[in-house]
Amino acid sequence: MTFQRFLLRRALMVIPLMIGVVFITFMLVRIGGLDPVGRLAGPTATQAEFDSIRNNLGLDQPLWKQFSIYLGNVVRGDLGESWLSNRSVLTDIKERAVISLELLFWGVGIGALVGVPVGLRAAFRPNGRFDQFTRVLSLFGFSIPTYWLALVMIFVFFYLLGWSPPAIGRMSLLVTPPDMITGSYLIDGVLTARWDAARSAASQLILPVICLAIVSAAPIIKQTRAIAIEVLSSDTVRYAHACGLPERNVRKLVLRNSAVPILTYIGTEVTGLVGTMSLIEYVFAWGGLGQYGLNAIISGDFTAVQGYVLVLAVFSVLVFIVIDFVVYLIEPRSELS
Amino acid sequence: MTLLKVEDLHTHFISRDLDNQICIAKALNGVSFSLEAGRVLGIVGETGAGKSLTAQSIVGLLRPPAKIVAGSVRFEGRELTDMPDAELNRIRGNNIAMVVQNPRTSLDPLTRVGDQLVRLHQIHSGGPKTASHKRALEMMEAVGLPDPESRAKSWPHELSGGMAQRVLLAMALMNSPKLLIADEPTTGLDVTVQAQILDLLRSLVARFDMATLIITHDLGVVAHFCNDIAVMFGGSIVETGSVRDVFAAPAHPYTRNLIAATPERFQMGRAKALGGQPPDLYNLPSGCVLQSRCAYATELCQTTVRNAEVAEGHFALCHYAGRLEEQPAVKINA
Ligand SMILES: Nc1ncnc2c1ncn2[C@@H]1O[C@H](COP(=O)(O)OP(=O)(O)OP(=O)(O)O)[C@@H](O)[C@H]1O
Ligand code: SF4
Ligand SMILES: [Mg+2]
Repeated sequence: MTFQRFLLRRALMVIPLMIGVVFITFMLVRIGGLDPVGRLAGPTATQAEFDSIRNNLGLDQPLWKQFSIYLGNVVRGDLGESWLSNRSVLTDIKERAVISLELLFWGVGIGALVGVPVGLRAAFRPNGRFDQFTRVLSLFGFSIPTYWLALVMIFVFFYLLGWSPPAIGRMSLLVTPPDMITGSYLIDGVLTARWDAARSAASQLILPVICLAIVSAAPIIKQTRAIAIEVLSSDTVRYAHACGLPERNVRKLVLRNSAVPILTYIGTEVTGLVGTMSLIEYVFAWGGLGQYGLNAIISGDFTAVQGYVLVLAVFSVLVFIVIDFVVYLIEPRSELS
Repeated sequence: MTLLKVEDLHTHFISRDLDNQICIAKALNGVSFSLEAGRVLGIVGETGAGKSLTAQSIVGLLRPPAKIVAGSVRFEGRELTDMPDAELNRIRGNNIAMVVQNPRTSLDPLTRVGDQLVRLHQIHSGGPKTASHKRALEMMEAVGLPDPESRAKSWPHELSGGMAQRVLLAMALMNSPKLLIADEPTTGLDVTVQAQILDLLRSLVARFDMATLIITHDLGVVAHFCNDIAVMFGGSIVETGSVRDVFAAPAHPYTRNLIAATPERFQMGRAKALGGQPPDLYNLPSGCVLQSRCAYATELCQTTVRNAEVAEGHFALCHYAGRLEEQPAVKINA
C-alpha cells in the first residue's frame, strides 16, 4: 500500500472519531456546571443583561441546534471566538501549540533518550545491581507529583543555587524576543542569529524540560525493560542462542525486535501527557496550550475548551500516524495497516 | 572416538521460596548416554521427563534458575559444561545444530529467510557472501523448499508451519554439523506434514551423515527412525539400548508400559496403560523414581538403583531389570 493511500484511509477512519470527540466535549462542557454567562455579566448585572448575553452566545437555543451550528463551523475550520477575550480560538491555539510542542519535544525526547538505554540495560541483567538501582529511581519518578517536582526544582535551582533564571515564562524580560518565524523563541533566535534571545530561551527551557523528562522517563524505563525482557525470553532469542549467534548479534536482534513496541509505547505516552503538560506549564508560566486549556476550563470558556480538546484529539491521531509510518520504515515486513 | 558422551549429568532448578529458603528441583538426575558418529538416538518419555532439558544442558542453553550441578558433556573429546559462552557459540549452530519445536516463532521475524541462512553461514564459516548465498539456496533445495530463489525473499510470517520447519532444517544444515539435535521437530504440525518432515529428516541424516539426537513423544518415530533409544522418566534415563533390543525385550517396567500404551503395531506386552503423576522434582523419593507408579515396586526399590546391563549395550535402571517375571511377591502398589 502506498503512503498516500494509507494516509487517505487513516483520514477516513478518523472523521467519525473526530465528530465523536466534538460531540462529547460539546456536551460535557455544557452539562459540566460551568457558567460563562454569570462571569461575563458580572455581579451587578440585571436579568435583562443576562438574557441578552445568553442570547448573543446562542445559549438560549436548543442543544442540538447549538451543536449543529458549532459542528458546521468546525468543519469549515472555524473554532469560534473565545467568549472571554473575543479572540479567535484557532489563532490562540496555533500560537500556543508551537510553544507546547517545543517543550514536549525536548522533554519527552530527553526522557526517551535516557529512558530507553537505561531500560534496556536493566533488562539485560534483570535483578542485577543496575536494575535494582533504576527500579528505585523510576519508582521515585512515578510517585512524585509533577507540580511538586516543578516547584522544588525552581526552589533549588533558582532560589537556592541561582543557577537558573526565574520561572517567568519562555524568555527573560530583559531580552527582546526574536522575529517570529516558527513561534519557538529558541529556533527563531537561531534562525535570525539573535544569539542573546536563543540563549535566554534555552536557559528558560532547561528546568521545565528536565521536569518533563523526569516524569516521562520513569514509565519509559519500566516499559522498555518489560518489553526487552519479553523479547529476551522469546523463541527467537532462544533459537538465536541455539544457533551460536555471538552476544553482540543477539543484542542487536533484541534491540530490533523491541524497537517497535517501545516506540508505540512512547507514542501512547506522549498523547497521555496532557495533564502533566498543563501542570508544568502552569508552574513555569509557560503560556502554552496546556496552560491555555487549563485556564479555559477554569473560567468556563466553552469555545476555547472545545477547541483545546479537539486539537488534542487531532494531535493524538497525528502522533499515531507518524508512529505507524516510522514502524513501517523500521519493520519493512509490516504492511501499513 | 565417541562423538558425544554425556556422563552422570545432574541439572537442578535452584530458587528461593517466599521464606527465602533454597528450593531445589532435581530435574536431571544422572543422565548418561553416548552417541557415535552417524548414529541416530531417540529420546522418548512423557512430558516433564527432562528431554528438552537434557538437550539444553548439552549445548549450554540453560537459563537461570536451571544449572548443571554435576556431570560432564564431551563433544569430540572437548568438555562443554564449563566452556565459556563465546567458545560454545562457535560450536552451536556450527558443529552442533538444533531444530526446535516452534519454527515460526523461532525465526527472526524481521529478517528475510534467505538472509538468516546467509547470516548463520557467515558467522560460523565466513568466506565470501556469494558463497554463503549459494549454499543457502542449495540447502533450501535440499530440504525440499520449492523455488528457493523466491522463498529466500520471504518473511518468516509468510511461511506455513511445515515450510518454516524446512527452513529450520536448512538452517541446521548450513554449516555441515556433525551432530543434529531435533527437539520434537514435528509437534504442532499437521499429521501429513509431520510424516513429510520426518521422511525428509531421515533422508537428510543419511545424506549428510550427521549423528542425530531426536527427542519425541512418539515411539513410532523411534521405531522407524532411530538406531538407539533412550527412555526417560523423572530426569533419569531408565532404559537404553538399540531400538531392536529394547522393543523386543523391554527390561524396565516404565518402558513396558510405554510400549503397551502405543498403537498395536508396537504393542509387545500386555502391561497396564500409562498413568499416574510425574514425580515431584522438589521432593524425589529415595531409590527408584518410579516406585509410586510401578506395579513391581517392593521395599528394595527404596534403595539406590544401579544401571543393570541386561544384554550387551542394553541397560535398564531397575532393581529387577532382566528378571521382572520372577520378581518376588511383596509388591507395594499391587
Ligand atoms: N523454572 C523451573 N523450576 C522448576 N522446575 C522446572 C522449571 N522449568 C522446568 N522445570 C521442570 O523441568 C522438567 C523438565 O522439563 P523438560 O522441558 O525437559 O521436559 P520435556 O521432557 O522436554 O517435556 P515435554 O515433552 O513437555 O517437552 C519438567 O518437569 C519441568 O516441570
Ligand atoms: S526399581 Fe522397583 S520401582 Fe523402580 S522400576 Fe524397578 S521394580 Fe519398579
Ligand atoms: Mg520438551
